[in-house]
Amino acid sequence: MQVHPNRWGGELVRFENVGLRYGAAPETLTDISFSILPQSFQFLTGASGSGKTTILRLILQSLKPTRGMISVFGQDTAQLDKDGLTALRRRMGIVFQDFRLLDHLTIYENVALPFKIRGRMESSYRAEVIELLKWIGLGDLLQAKPPVLSGGEKQRTSIARALVSQPELLLADEPTGNLDPVLAGRLLRLFVELNRSGTAILIATHDIGLMDQIKGSRRLVLHNHHLQVEG
Amino acid sequence: MSSSADFHNQRPRFRSFLDRFSTDSLVAPDPLTDRTLVAVIFILTFIAALTAGLVLFGSTASARWQALLSSEVTVQIRPQPGRNIETDLNRAADLLKQAQGVTKVRVYSYEETMRMLEPWLGQSSSLGGLSIPRLIAVEIDPQSPPDIPVISKQLARDIPGTAIDDHRSWTRRLTTLGNSLVIASAAGLILVMTATALAIVFATRGAMVGNREIVEVFYFMGADDRYIARVFQRHFFRLGLRGGILGACLALIVLVILRFIIAGSDGLRDMFGFGVLDPLSSVGFAIVVAVLAVALFVSLLASFVSRITVHSTLSRLV
Repeated sequence: MQVHPNRWGGELVRFENVGLRYGAAPETLTDISFSILPQSFQFLTGASGSGKTTILRLILQSLKPTRGMISVFGQDTAQLDKDGLTALRRRMGIVFQDFRLLDHLTIYENVALPFKIRGRMESSYRAEVIELLKWIGLGDLLQAKPPVLSGGEKQRTSIARALVSQPELLLADEPTGNLDPVLAGRLLRLFVELNRSGTAILIATHDIGLMDQIKGSRRLVLHNHHLQVEG
Repeated sequence: MSSSADFHNQRPRFRSFLDRFSTDSLVAPDPLTDRTLVAVIFILTFIAALTAGLVLFGSTASARWQALLSSEVTVQIRPQPGRNIETDLNRAADLLKQAQGVTKVRVYSYEETMRMLEPWLGQSSSLGGLSIPRLIAVEIDPQSPPDIPVISKQLARDIPGTAIDDHRSWTRRLTTLGNSLVIASAAGLILVMTATALAIVFATRGAMVGNREIVEVFYFMGADDRYIARVFQRHFFRLGLRGGILGACLALIVLVILRFIIAGSDGLRDMFGFGVLDPLSSVGFAIVVAVLAVALFVSLLASFVSRITVHSTLSRLV
């Protein structure tokens, strides 16, 4: 699969002094500042409950910050209307920790979903989807449904769905959380391949062993509601 | 794998075109909820469709009765001291025959009149020559009816004790009854439709909560509100159509049974007219169309209400 180079020349994501609190509770995220560059590869790490998924949700705009500024693909998200938000999300891919596959659809239909949502004719994407599924080793399971898949197969399907529309930025939430170390390593290599094709990657994980497999990778470390950038 | 690819490759082009708009099965099926909703819509559509059919049937029968009543007037002549009632009857009949718009005049004989009174007065033989008012049935042309007030004045002038009944009070009552029937049925239809809409609202909200994660996935993959609303709208339109068709079919079966009951009874046939519920008659066809229209309307209502509900729920859900 060939991934197009990024169309956005500047930072893909920029957080400036972002804070988030729920109601009157203390801030769960305080003064978060970082940026994600095109074609970059980084891990977002921290203890369970430190706010990794929250940061992904802030990037996806399913959560609004209490303060600070977030820009995605050069657009201030506070100024985005619904159509702008939809357009922005179409430039990203997301791999959920719990896969979020549609159990009543086949693997082929699950992976083709982003195209279907965009109103594209099946004839225009059919070959592309099948090629991608073969590339990630699911070519024999096109008509299978998620309930009969193993954890690794589900995870790969979820990744294929995130990649199929060739996003400029891929967000992955604990993508290897349910996998054995061998399979986790293979999936990590898949992300590296994608990154080399031009997709910026942000992987949220608390698996230090996984991060150590990518020498010199950039790490965004969450600790005590603050974020520290390493590397 | 190649077989699967071949299968997809063989799909006709127009099917691919339809796929572009298709949002089929993106809502996860929930057999229990879906079946319950279909059953609710089925029952409500049955009531609504039967009501619509009976309204048409009732209003047609009422119009028929009104037409029958307005095509006939009754002249009553009370016995007067010193006058021969038979002479008066013949004189009145002659005058009526000459009037424009009168098509037939029939004088009821003394025996016929007594027979009419038998339920109240008993056998005529025991009453001897009791003086009773006599009747003349006058059939008129409903298209160009005679001037009843003029005839009435002429009869009253020539023959004392004469009165004409043009059944206006009956016609008025029938009109009132028919209108009341239509208003009551329309109110019933509105209530049934409201109940259907509420059932759809609850079902849509339930489906959205049940599919919350799917809705969120749609959003993150770049679906907008319109697309998500369309997914649910299509799902509920199908359920509505399924329940609606079942309800309409049962209503039609009941109406067909009613038709056979009417056809098999002389009294009912005279009262309602044979053929009112015959699908080949214009009224029968209108009833079939009305029942099917109710089913289609219920499906469209389900579709519309689910769309509105999705739009109002999305902001709170995700």
